Amino acid sequence: MSKIVSVHSFRGGTGKSNTTANLAALLAKGGARVGVVDTDIQSPGIHILFNLDESEMVHSLNDYLWGKCGIKDAAHDVTGHLGTEIKGQVFLIPSSIKAGEIARILREGYDVGLLNDGFRDIVTELGLDYLLIDTHPGLNEETLLSIAISDVLVVIMRPDQQDYQGTAVTVDVARKLDVPKMMMLVNKIPSAFDLEDVRARVEQTYKVKVIATLPHSDEMMTLASSGIFSLKYPDNSVTLGLKAVVDEIVRS
Amino acid sequence: MNKEQFERALLELKAGKDDIRPSDVVVFSEPLRTALNRAVRIGRISLTDLARELEIEREPAKEIAAILISRHLFQISAFSNEKETFYETRLSAMTRPLARPPSDIFKKLDN
Repeated sequence: MSKIVSVHSFRGGTGKSNTTANLAALLAKGGARVGVVDTDIQSPGIHILFNLDESEMVHSLNDYLWGKCGIKDAAHDVTGHLGTEIKGQVFLIPSSIKAGEIARILREGYDVGLLNDGFRDIVTELGLDYLLIDTHPGLNEETLLSIAISDVLVVIMRPDQQDYQGTAVTVDVARKLDVPKMMMLVNKIPSAFDLEDVRARVEQTYKVKVIATLPHSDEMMTLASSGIFSLKYPDNSVTLGLKAVVDEIVRS
Repeated sequence: MNKEQFERALLELKAGKDDIRPSDVVVFSEPLRTALNRAVRIGRISLTDLARELEIEREPAKEIAAILISRHLFQISAFSNEKETFYETRLSAMTRPLARPPSDIFKKLDN
């Protein structure tokens, strides 16, 4: 049975897109057919991680929302872009990076219900095992929609006071939307912090299981979204943390 | 659902005229909210199951379903037959015609 997984954070810069791309790659490495939708229409970027150039984007999520194409037409098989042998497949539905198209969709709006339809259709049409939704940060109707239809919600935060407060709102809303499975990932933890202390504090604060505490990584910063970290550094502690998240998603 | 919960649910549903958005579902009272969460998540729900989720009889459940249809969260499914009505669910965030609704999420959450 397929699963819809939303990756969300209240604030920006927590590492949602990187996490989403890595989770997708790790799931596909295990043999799964994985779809990824970039619903961050205002600031799309996950296509960079999958080395999908703008010139290769035949259709985008924007085209689907405007009724120019079906959702399947906006899906790009990026498995071959990952740079390593993968047993499964990864399909990316990117948002447009063209400034005019971003401006248009913000100005004119769109029917968020089409996202609802699109998510369901693409799972069926591509025979997906997992659909990962990379969300825009913060609370808006689109992110609430993603949470409302997801089987699993991965909430990402940094050990930062702004994140702590905002994440409380996200967790509260997610509980009100009866997400079947919610898990937390604390990212970009400074080396001065004890990872287990961070885990304990976050779990106590939100009463949600922390699946991974990921240290700040110079290798990740140096890679600078030019590829999928977990594929390039399979034994790194950050990758091991991401694998723990994948295991939890599979178990859910 | 007792009488008071039912009346409150009707009031909440009738209070808005726009399509039901995700942010509306968040602030609905129980057991309406949980019932709608379940219906949205599975994508289709029968009148029988809706009544069971709401813990009411079929007729009052039908009354609630009718409002949900008028607010475009529910539409009668092609799966419906003489014995059972099925509803497809579709969360939205738009009024009709296509227009971006006001951003009032935080106002609702604070209330």
